[in-house]
Amino acid sequence: MTMPPAAPTSTVPEAVAAFPADAVAPVRTLPFDGEGLQGLFFRTNGTTDAAVWTDGLFMLTFWFSMFFFVLLMGLMVYWCIIYRRRPGVPAPVSPAHNSKLEIFWTVVPSSSMLVFFFLGFWGYMDKVVPAGGALELSITGQTWDWTVEYPDGTQSAQMTTLGGRDNVKIHALPENTDIALRMVSTDVIHSFWIPDYRMKTDVFPNRYTGYGFTTPKLGPEDDHPEGRYRDQWVFCAEYCGDLHSEMAAIIRVVPQADYEIWLENQGSSGDPVIDGQRVFQSRCATCHSVDGSNNIGPSWKDLYGSERSFNKAPPQIADDNYIRESILNPGIKIVQGYQNQMTPFQGVIKDEEISNIIAYMKSISVHVEQPAEGEAGEDAPGETETGAGEEG
Amino acid sequence: MSTADRTHEPDHDHHDEGSYLTPKYGAMGTVWDWMTTVDHKKIGVMYLFAVLFMFFLGGVAALAVRLELLEPVRVAADGAITGQLFAPAGAESINTGNQIYNRLFTLHGAIMVFMFIVPSVPASLGNFFLPLMLGAKDVAFPRLNLFSWYIYVSGSIFGILSIVLGGVDTGWTFYTPYSTTTDADHWRVLLMVLAAFVLGFSSILTGLNFIVTTHKLRAPGMGWFDMPLFIWAIYATSIIQVLATPVIGITLLLLIFERLFKVGIFDPGLGGDPVLYQHFFWFYSHPVVYVMILPGMGIISELLSVHSRKQIFGYRAIAFSSLGIAAVSFIVWGHHMFTAMGELASAIFSALTFLVAIPTAIKVFNWITTLYKGSIAINTPMLYALSFLFLFSIGGLTGLPLGALATDLHLHDSYFVVAHFHYVMMGGTVIAFIGGIHHWWPKMFGRMYNEKAGMLGCVLVFIGFNLTFMTQFFLGTQGMPRRYASYVDEFQFLHTLSTYGSWLILAGFLVHLFNFIHSLVAGPKAPPNPWGGLTLEWETESPPIEHNFHHEVLVQHGPYDFDTVVPPHCDERDFPLPPQDQPPASH
Amino acid sequence: MATIDANKPDLPAAGAKSHPLYWKNRGFAHHFRNADEQFDACKLGMWLFLTTEVLLFAGIFCAYAIFRMLYPDAWAAGSHHLDWRFGGLNTIVLLFSSWTVASGVRAAQMGNNAALIRNLVITLICAGLFVFIKLYFEYIPKLSAGKAPGTFFSYPYAHDPHEPLWWSVYYIGTGIHALHVLIGAGLLSWVLVRAIRYEAYGPTEYTMVETSALYWHLVDLVWIFLFPLLYLIH
Ligand code: HEA
Ligand code: HEA
Ligand code: HEC
Ligand code: CUA
Ligand SMILES: [Cu+2]
Repeated sequence: MTMPPAAPTSTVPEAVAAFPADAVAPVRTLPFDGEGLQGLFFRTNGTTDAAVWTDGLFMLTFWFSMFFFVLLMGLMVYWCIIYRRRPGVPAPVSPAHNSKLEIFWTVVPSSSMLVFFFLGFWGYMDKVVPAGGALELSITGQTWDWTVEYPDGTQSAQMTTLGGRDNVKIHALPENTDIALRMVSTDVIHSFWIPDYRMKTDVFPNRYTGYGFTTPKLGPEDDHPEGRYRDQWVFCAEYCGDLHSEMAAIIRVVPQADYEIWLENQGSSGDPVIDGQRVFQSRCATCHSVDGSNNIGPSWKDLYGSERSFNKAPPQIADDNYIRESILNPGIKIVQGYQNQMTPFQGVIKDEEISNIIAYMKSISVHVEQPAEGEAGEDAPGETETGAGEEG
Repeated sequence: MSTADRTHEPDHDHHDEGSYLTPKYGAMGTVWDWMTTVDHKKIGVMYLFAVLFMFFLGGVAALAVRLELLEPVRVAADGAITGQLFAPAGAESINTGNQIYNRLFTLHGAIMVFMFIVPSVPASLGNFFLPLMLGAKDVAFPRLNLFSWYIYVSGSIFGILSIVLGGVDTGWTFYTPYSTTTDADHWRVLLMVLAAFVLGFSSILTGLNFIVTTHKLRAPGMGWFDMPLFIWAIYATSIIQVLATPVIGITLLLLIFERLFKVGIFDPGLGGDPVLYQHFFWFYSHPVVYVMILPGMGIISELLSVHSRKQIFGYRAIAFSSLGIAAVSFIVWGHHMFTAMGELASAIFSALTFLVAIPTAIKVFNWITTLYKGSIAINTPMLYALSFLFLFSIGGLTGLPLGALATDLHLHDSYFVVAHFHYVMMGGTVIAFIGGIHHWWPKMFGRMYNEKAGMLGCVLVFIGFNLTFMTQFFLGTQGMPRRYASYVDEFQFLHTLSTYGSWLILAGFLVHLFNFIHSLVAGPKAPPNPWGGLTLEWETESPPIEHNFHHEVLVQHGPYDFDTVVPPHCDERDFPLPPQDQPPASH
Repeated sequence: MATIDANKPDLPAAGAKSHPLYWKNRGFAHHFRNADEQFDACKLGMWLFLTTEVLLFAGIFCAYAIFRMLYPDAWAAGSHHLDWRFGGLNTIVLLFSSWTVASGVRAAQMGNNAALIRNLVITLICAGLFVFIKLYFEYIPKLSAGKAPGTFFSYPYAHDPHEPLWWSVYYIGTGIHALHVLIGAGLLSWVLVRAIRYEAYGPTEYTMVETSALYWHLVDLVWIFLFPLLYLIH
């Protein structure tokens, strides 16, 4: 089901081929391979023009500041030592001001400030204005997840474990390509930060924002056992509530050919259950589980067809209509023991996706009769182990 | 400094009038006397203890924040949850742990900003010393002063109530639409916003009082340029307080309406604009960072000149740069929103931001030059002043990459910003404040503290502070966002160091705390002018008498004329004058 | 506003002239050098306070301007619902009261207590009239028609989806202004009571009258801005 067509399998690196991600993906952290002081500051040296500019400006500011800092602190310590107080010895008389000196140390900083401003502005224009003809990604921020939609409408659903963190969504991008982001939020303000591109912009409800960047060219240093790729973190940088710190994703820069295969793999599989599972992974997994453990929202395991009790409304069996309503207007009935924290998906999610979700929910509920024998459910992700048997 | 036998005793004509600390009534009477006092000194002392208590509360929250970050809540690869410092044992999700963390940093920020650092120096040391340094008997409106104190108390009570009832998770900035929709209990958010609103009034009234006092109550003979630089700083601060605080008042009021009545001004759903909130908020909250730092800078001007017995270098430049900072501070607020504004606005605000660095740089240059050819005593206040120069310079200089557009888009809302503002607020204001407390402690309470313990505390705080926050600059540039209850493994090492540093800071402050308590209980009696200062507060006794001065004060020398004047109550053998054959310096 | 006066118990009316609050008996607070200095200080304090008030309203005007720019149609539609005649009437009422309160100050300076009392009473009546017109002819009919702020907006014939926002700005602006009218009236009433009971104000002691009057002028000034912005410009 999820394996790529037989022929390319052997040539396509695992990094982009495997979906859902390998359940026992190695726990990795991103490299620390920048050079010199700059590397210490940024982990990796900037690769895109804009990032190189930013790093350069930062280091320039750093050395400028260092110069003044060392000069001033040096004088301070030196004078504190040679002019330390000796009992009975008066301080020698010295002038209380010196116009030339004062003008000098007003003019010099002022003019250097002007330089910093212009350098900063130059680099900024590079970042905020995307290149023409760029690959446009449409990004939706919602508590606490990023949905990235490719130009063909595909959404990624591949997960990995990285940096000690489970369930990080992967978004593949082709190497050496101009990318433009168009971003909007469905609830509160978020901020889309890709440290490797030294760039972030806030994501607002009811307003589009965006920026552009160029993905790096991959080299031999990006070769991994699973293939050639480079992972880059995406963080949410505007405080947005409980799981703000979990609102992370990975941008995986891969060779153009791999990118196309990957994109292919993310498309509809033709099986509603699998497609439903993908929607689950890409949009719902932050708050819901399918293994029976309760997160921010109730687990979906055995949800479908069971009797639900609510804070205010009378109990009800979870049928198609109830599920639909819970997705589009979750605030209407609040499940007992939970808060009204789910974002309404009205206008965000397509009808077809809802049907797929329902199909998926059915497949992991004991209240629904499961098909007698499944086709091989071998590729179920780790956290859906329980559901894996029935699915497919 | 045991100068008892050599000092000229303060004149005893009016010795019937006791120190302001002398209790005149029974125990209950004394309490009532303090609660209803209009004496600026008593009000200042009450503020001092109140803000130090708030600092302690905020510090405890900070330690909890750091402790959580030592081993953050996270889901490991095998689905197990680790680092459950604040979550119930056996929790199935990391939700609770995160929620508690979010409340912790919010209450840390809110306490530190609204209840501690904004009132800290002006309300305590300012209240106590502004009239004394001006040679006045009190502030212009003593009852208004008491009233502001009670507003401060009630505001703090609202804030603490909100925390005790369960806390809020909005961050100290209350950004909409999160703050108007968060599920943190409705009433707690309202209480916290109300607290900030009410505390604003206290701030306005204090500032107003100080401006009028400075204008009207200077001692005869004291012109504007005979005022100590501490007064100049407080004066500039007060202007900002009076002009900026009303705007946060209306903003928070709108926020309250928004939450209560859903008026929609900030609600994108109704066509409102959340960025408008940010503009309003920072229109106040940027100037307010100079409300925090200017009084600290004022303290530093005093400490450096007195303890190096040197005419302050460039008096007028320092005085005018205070006003300059106050003026420019009103037009740079947009630098907090570079990621939320258009190109033109960003460019303008970035350029203006660099403008504000210049008057500050001038001050630093003047301070350092003041040390030249001084007679520099290395004691606790001086050590703090030197620490200030070191830490504040780092904090201020790291403001430059934040003000530059290209770099800020990377650094915004990262730990780099966290490190920047701790270097200026803690490394600047708090360090100056603690230094000022040591400097004026003998005057306020009439007792000396233990110099060695003071210096030990200072060194501990200095080392601990750098360990805690230097690491955070690197965290920020490497990509660690702020307000994160957990982080990816890459950042573990630096976070661990940072947490260890926070324990050293605690150790340092505990040393100070015990030193102060010991001094109050058993410290040796302080002479009227232990450091040989020339400003007017050193002319009266330690602690000052109830009406401040025995006689009407006549200003006969400038506040920093160390070259020509023997300090009051001091002996020339201790504080010798330079040979007078050279022409005396002037400013 | 912050003079320190002795807190002696009230004397019977007959002894008014010996009461410490009688204007000839008033001293000045011990930390001032003379009464003039105290008067100057109080006035400077009041001016500063008025500055803060202006800035408070500046926030509202700012919100008004920004949303007007964003949603000109909603703003035009909204202001069509306001009747300029009520607004104009209230403007006249406030302007008139500003004049009477100024005459009151003059009366106090001349030592004419009766005129002071008369002027204060008229001013207070104007304040009452203003609030009455606001409530009875504006707020109540509008609210009952559903022209309410934000989510409470339920007026069925709205032309523009952003009209609720207009009403939010309208109610917040005029509401906070009305609150200031009430505070100002409170201050003036206090002055009035002291004028009646103790003849507390005269040529050497009219700080309180002067500062309260300043406050009242501010209330007037704010309305002078609110009125055209809300009622006249479409
Ligand atoms: C005491 C408080 C204080 C002070 C004094 C300052 C001072 C400065 N701050 Fe800071 N700042 C804060 C408190 C403060 N700040 C807080 C609390 C935040 C974050 C709020 C939040 O989001 O929660 C913040 C955030 C902040 C930002 C937004 C970052 C972001 O979120 O993206 C920016 C951006 O421009 C900035 C800039 C500056 C600058 C340029 C100065 C300048 O005034 C600094 C001037 C000082 C110097 C330049 C150093 C001394 C001079 C020398 C050593 C001589 C040599 C120097 C030269 C030749 C130039 N600050
Ligand atoms: C005045 C301001 C101030 C001060 C002094 C501090 C002090 C400290 N802060 Fe502060 N901090 C803020 C203001 C301040 N902070 C603000 C505004 C935020 C942003 C909040 C937000 O995002 O909304 C923040 C956020 C913040 C974060 C980021 C949280 C996040 O984004 O996830 C961290 C993390 O390390 C931190 C740590 C600390 C530490 C370890 C100290 C230590 O220096 C504390 C040391 C103090 C003590 C240990 C107390 C000891 C005191 C006594 C024992 C009594 C004292 C008595 C006498 C001296 C007599 N703070
Ligand atoms: C921000 C967290 C969050 C996200 C993301 C989220 N949910 Fe929920 N969900 C909740 C919470 C909290 C509840 C319980 C409260 C309620 O009923 O609204 C809930 C309840 C539900 C229910 C009712 C469950 C029951 O026990 O009766 C369904 C169905 C549901 N969610 C489906 C979805 C789907 C489908 C998605 C993704 C497209 C999704 N949720 C995404 C938080 C979330
Ligand atoms: Cu989304 Cu923080
Ligand atoms: Cu700022």
